[in-house]
Amino acid sequence: MEYKRYKYIRVKGSRISTYGRFSERRPYLIKQRLHNTLKKMNAEVCDQCGKCSSACPVAARIDGFSPRQIIAKICLGKEDELLKSGVIWTCTSCLKCKERCPEEISPYDVILALRRETIKEGRQHPTEYDEMIKTVIETGIAMQPQPARTRKRERKDRASLGLPKIQKPKDQEKYAEAIRELLKEIES
Amino acid sequence: MKVAFYPGCTIQTDQIGYEASVRNIMPKLNTELIDMEGASCCGFSPFSSFNEAAWYYSSARNMAIAERMNLPMLTLCNGCHLSFTETKHVLTKDQVMKAKINEKISREGLIYSGCLELIHVFELFHDKLGEDKIKHVVTKPLTGLKFGAHPGCHAIRPSKLIRPDDSENPKKLDEMIQWLGAETMDYPGKIDCCGSSLASTSGKTVMEMAGEKLKNVKNLGLDGLVTTCPFCFKIFDNRQRAIQSVIRDTSIEIPVFYYTQLLGLAIGLKPEILGLDLNQSPIDAVISRIGGL
Amino acid sequence: MKPVLVIGGGIAGIQASLDLADRGINVHLVEKTPSIGGVMAQLDKTFPTMDCSICILAPKMIECLRHHNITIHTQSEVIGLQGNVGDFFVKVLEHPRSVDAKKCTGCGLCSEKCPVKRPSDFQAGLGQRKAIYLAFPQAVPLTATIDRDACLWFTKGVCKTCEKICPANAVNYEQIENTIDLNVSSIIVATGFEQYNPKGIGEYGYGRYKNVLTALEFERLVCASGPTSGILNRPSDGGIAHNIAFIQCVGSRTQTNGYSYCSSSCCMYATKEAVLIKEHEPSSHVTIYYMDLRTFGKGFQGFVDRAQSYWGVKYVRGRPGEIIEDPNTKNLTILYENTEVGKVEKDLVDMVILCTAAVPHRDNEKLSSVLDLRLDEFGFFDTKDPITAPIETNMQGIYVCGSCHGPRDIPESVAEASATAAKSAEDEFRFMVNK
Repeated sequence: MEYKRYKYIRVKGSRISTYGRFSERRPYLIKQRLHNTLKKMNAEVCDQCGKCSSACPVAARIDGFSPRQIIAKICLGKEDELLKSGVIWTCTSCLKCKERCPEEISPYDVILALRRETIKEGRQHPTEYDEMIKTVIETGIAMQPQPARTRKRERKDRASLGLPKIQKPKDQEKYAEAIRELLKEIES
Repeated sequence: MKVAFYPGCTIQTDQIGYEASVRNIMPKLNTELIDMEGASCCGFSPFSSFNEAAWYYSSARNMAIAERMNLPMLTLCNGCHLSFTETKHVLTKDQVMKAKINEKISREGLIYSGCLELIHVFELFHDKLGEDKIKHVVTKPLTGLKFGAHPGCHAIRPSKLIRPDDSENPKKLDEMIQWLGAETMDYPGKIDCCGSSLASTSGKTVMEMAGEKLKNVKNLGLDGLVTTCPFCFKIFDNRQRAIQSVIRDTSIEIPVFYYTQLLGLAIGLKPEILGLDLNQSPIDAVISRIGGL
Repeated sequence: MKPVLVIGGGIAGIQASLDLADRGINVHLVEKTPSIGGVMAQLDKTFPTMDCSICILAPKMIECLRHHNITIHTQSEVIGLQGNVGDFFVKVLEHPRSVDAKKCTGCGLCSEKCPVKRPSDFQAGLGQRKAIYLAFPQAVPLTATIDRDACLWFTKGVCKTCEKICPANAVNYEQIENTIDLNVSSIIVATGFEQYNPKGIGEYGYGRYKNVLTALEFERLVCASGPTSGILNRPSDGGIAHNIAFIQCVGSRTQTNGYSYCSSSCCMYATKEAVLIKEHEPSSHVTIYYMDLRTFGKGFQGFVDRAQSYWGVKYVRGRPGEIIEDPNTKNLTILYENTEVGKVEKDLVDMVILCTAAVPHRDNEKLSSVLDLRLDEFGFFDTKDPITAPIETNMQGIYVCGSCHGPRDIPESVAEASATAAKSAEDEFRFMVNK
């Protein structure tokens, strides 16, 4: 494969995807896997209007997190920056950005795609997910039973409230095996 | 009416008060909850950020169990309902993924076809049971009480997928509360997020987000906040003390209820069987006004 | 010589009629509403000159009325068409006013005494009119008209106050519909546009929050002939609005809840309205939240520069995500990101004005099927070629001008009107039957 050198990048414009054209000529710039997912998400038509960030509860409170900037960085080919920083893990999945975007771009879905890419590349990520996955594989549900206390600090558990035992898969091993297999697969 | 009861993770392990209230009010509403044997996590929290296939597998597997029971599936948690709705949407369009998932599900003797009817708490009380049936069972109307409704993000967004309520002006939970005899009022930030997904990465931000909502509720002098999502409830109720200290306002003393708890009180059931002991927020004053204590 | 038919009595239709009439060609000007004038009659001032809108429009309207070669048909619509260029046979349906136009002097006494009130279309719903009413003070023709759906006589068989009180004995409940057959050489379509109804955009709260208005509603509010005589009383409590925000691109440039095109004049009319507010109340705070400032016409950029530097209008680049209402004061908080610095902020204002998109008129479909014209994907009339034949249509002899084929401002509409008048005249002389 030969790589040509380009002096300047024109990144966005019309719905005719400049995004797609670049990846055909410069696959090193955009990871193919990530590209295939992001291609369906219309990121290149973003007008940078700011409706997503203004609705975002995290952008209002945490400096450095802004759905609009995340989309801008995607358009400029700076996914690496996003994958290295922890910023994509601070999305609270409130879905306001997806709801409000006038161009039907969903920064939330882009963030999820970036998170999955981070995992596939084995980069750093919050450990709570690993704990939840471990618990799911062992017990079928994502968390261990927590001690429940009343306002008067008395202990109560499921039995004392007349609740049945916690549901879990009949064949836990088969369930766990399926999960493990799926986690190992690398999507193309 | 019979429904397959999908319990989810948080409700079974942590928010057992919610489950208690649901199981105890359903008989009064002529609704039978059939437990889903072998139910597992819906996959949203652990897998959606990690691996799509594992997420869809976890969701589809539960839907397959309900399909085999030949009943519609009731979910109590907003997040679970969105997880199932999205999985259904994706597996209708992506036949390759559906085949892959079914291959794994079939090892347990199940099959996912996609014909399942999903029922959210709002849809059960507002659409299926409706005003007449709810009003019929109320013996202790919540007169004189004014609540704020917190529908929660995942029950109202994204509107591209059919959600139980409108994304900008949700009214169903308000109406459900009104049918119990109470009043409701819109407060600034009603459709805002509780922030629970950030609980482990940025705890302070969650407290600020939830704290702002509680502050708005307090400023309007409302008697309490009502929700149906266990994640939201956990933040507003169980973590109210922490919110007070983070936003430095100890006057935030807002009673927080699950809708089903209020419904139980209006029917005339005792607070203990509705799991109200486990609510951490100061709800006693409200309960005594209903005549429940 | 055959006459020409002009459909639509807004500024474009008026200009086309005058151009043709001055050349000696007869014109039938057909207008659906009780008066000609169109949207321009509802505006307070026009950009970029800040001319009083009705002051520059009314002389043209009067000229149409007095011109020997122009016949105005108001409350009329085109319902049938046959034939070809040079020889069109048109059926026009005249709806009855229930008032004799030859006798009515436009004194307005009937309207004063009428007991029935309805929201006024001219006041964009902010004010009221009666069941018998004059469209507006400068209406042409200045003849009263009865809204038969509202009138007590027509709905319940009682009242008849207007007939008793009219000093000119002009009220005539027996008037019926009248069909006119016209034989014209060409047709000019100038039916104009409508404003997008932002009720569908839930996050802006139009319809739920009292102090959120559309731009046209605001024009009426700030106009001296409006429901508040030009005082900026905000709808919720009548208090004077001091802190006002404009939101651009409401219903435009979107794939959801609206249309994907740019409405061309909103950036300019928002600036105009902002300057109007500053002229009324120099101490007020006005902010315009925009995506881009489209100031492409002659004098436009200078107008915006002056608005910023001389008048102190603030411009913020950021499309607001949400408007939140304070339930007690009914003040509004705007959530937006200042995208130039990248900060998410909140602004507290008294009143929000949504600069809504210019959308195709709802009657375009009906008219296009009568005239056999194509509509484009949005519902505007389609032209023969966007570059080389921008005012011709797929039907020879039928021309379009003004905002019926796309959003445009007044100077463009006037220029297109003259262009279509020239085309019509060309057809007229080419197909003239030699006697």
